[in-house]
Amino acid sequence: MKNPMSDTPPLVETQGLVKDYFIGGEVLHAVNGVSLRIARGEFVAIMGTSGSGKSTFMNLVGCLDVPSAGTLKLDGADTRTLDSNALADIRNRKIGFVFQQFNLLNRTTALDNVAVPLIYAGLGARERRERARETLTAMGLENRLDHTPAKLSGGQQQRVAIARALVTKPLMLLADEPTGALDTQTSEDIMGIFQTLNQQGITVILVTHEADIAEYAERRIVFRDGKVVEDAAVTKRRAAA
Amino acid sequence: MNARGFTSWIAAWAVNIPIAFTALRTNLMRSILTTIGIMIGVLSVILAVAVGEGTKVSVLDSINALGSNMAIIFPQPENNGTRRVVDRGRLTERDARAIQRLIPGVAGIAPQLRSTIQMVIAGRNATTTAVGITPDYGKVTNVDAETGRFISDADVRTAARVIVLGTSVANKLFGSFEPVGQTIRVNKVPFTVIGVLESKGSNFGNDNDDLAVIPISTARQRFASTTVQGPDDLHVLFVGFEDGISLPDAKKAMKRLLRQRNRVGEGEINPFTINTTEEFMKESSQITGVIQTLLVAIASISLLVGGIGIMNIMLVSVTERTREIGLRMALGAKRADIRNQFLVEAAVLCVIGGAMGLILAMGAAEAFKRLADFPAPIGVGISIFAILFSAFIGILFGGYPAIRASRLSPIDALRSE
Repeated sequence: MKNPMSDTPPLVETQGLVKDYFIGGEVLHAVNGVSLRIARGEFVAIMGTSGSGKSTFMNLVGCLDVPSAGTLKLDGADTRTLDSNALADIRNRKIGFVFQQFNLLNRTTALDNVAVPLIYAGLGARERRERARETLTAMGLENRLDHTPAKLSGGQQQRVAIARALVTKPLMLLADEPTGALDTQTSEDIMGIFQTLNQQGITVILVTHEADIAEYAERRIVFRDGKVVEDAAVTKRRAAA
Repeated sequence: MNARGFTSWIAAWAVNIPIAFTALRTNLMRSILTTIGIMIGVLSVILAVAVGEGTKVSVLDSINALGSNMAIIFPQPENNGTRRVVDRGRLTERDARAIQRLIPGVAGIAPQLRSTIQMVIAGRNATTTAVGITPDYGKVTNVDAETGRFISDADVRTAARVIVLGTSVANKLFGSFEPVGQTIRVNKVPFTVIGVLESKGSNFGNDNDDLAVIPISTARQRFASTTVQGPDDLHVLFVGFEDGISLPDAKKAMKRLLRQRNRVGEGEINPFTINTTEEFMKESSQITGVIQTLLVAIASISLLVGGIGIMNIMLVSVTERTREIGLRMALGAKRADIRNQFLVEAAVLCVIGGAMGLILAMGAAEAFKRLADFPAPIGVGISIFAILFSAFIGILFGGYPAIRASRLSPIDALRSE
């Protein structure tokens, strides 16, 4: 009997992944031999204190940084064999980023902010606007299309940023401290959005240092000194109201 | 590249234009100042080209105004670098007639005696150059009377006190009144105005209509100055040639003839100077060419300075927007996308500056024409060239900053503050 799922490779697979930094002649192993797999459809929280290597790991998975050693396979493709254009393509089509400080372009409307990834996907102007509008509407921002970031609340800005991450219909969302700049209630709303998206099938990888935020995920991986020290299912999972 | 590929290629570049405008608006003052740098550069280059062009046109016009296929002979010792002041030149009406008789292809000769005259009528007066001529002058220099009549053979034979005025002189003396038939006093001698010449315009602020013509015999009788020695000496002789005559050959023949007539020995300096319109044109186009090259070279320096300004501001812009570059890379921008974004931004700055420079240059050229009577033509070619060249400057000087931006590592760019 063949398991139908075995044909699908893990979305993220690392083998002895290492990232070294050279600081004042000293070598710092920010990520020091991490081997793990994340399957499609998972909701993973990566935890750890500042300097534990969780963000560095996230940047490697997001193809923003290149590993010093080890392998990283994304959706079956070995990233070490890919050039900068192919990596840009992966970031564009397979990954959606959500940042702590939202990273929206100033003086640019919500609609145009969300349409940015579609420029790099090579879509025409009409289709870019159409898809950006749809995605913002799905985020409940249909009345804020022409607002610039300065005219939006923190929660609205983060929802614009999530819309931007989703607009290319990626396989996974990488969120680095997405609630770090938000109050408790807004944080809960945002985590609710992630849970909904995850239920719709998107893989979510979340980096946080807050234990209660990690409880919205279904799997928790804890980093310390560049290594994984804990990797287990979340027992008391929280669900956003 | 097929049509579809080409449109999407255009679209891929065009996407950067609104991005560029947003970025330029963000630092409006800085953008304007940088643009002014390019504007001044383009303005000076266009003006340099236009002024050079205008000089060329003016010089050719003034040569053509003389008559197209012509030799001009002065009674001045030929200057071969060892001019001796003691040698006085010699050129006579008999020389002129000999040329007409013996040199093949001569269409007409225009011997001239020139003197400065003072004219008075009804309290108005004017000073001008009176050119003493024979009727052939009209044929050789392509000029005729606009109203009234030109100098005739009978006028010359009888040394008649008749005068044909240039339009400027006519306006000065008569204003809107009809000059033909009036009597004016020329150096206190009464003359009848028999005609007004066709206008020949002006070059370099030189009024070609500020003259009067009188019979050469009258000039000799009444105004013969100390500058002529003999009874039939000339100030200048124009020799018009038929079309298709080789001017260098004709010049050689005239030289031989005049040397013979003046008994110039072997190795002695010619007591006359022969120039041809062909030589004038060649010389003047060489000179104007050098002037134009110099002007453009000097003007290019200001464009270079403007370009360096562009590079400077683009480097600042890249540094300030490192985080944006990182973000765009995270969202899928390839290196080429980032490079093109900054190239387009620099090109937009330059094209705006170039367009403003072009408009200012057109205004300046118009002002030159109106105020200084100096043509500085700005054609379609130079206009298109100016805009394209501005874009090229943008891409040239924006290139380094743009490539630097595109080489950033996504994570380093994203982390920068």
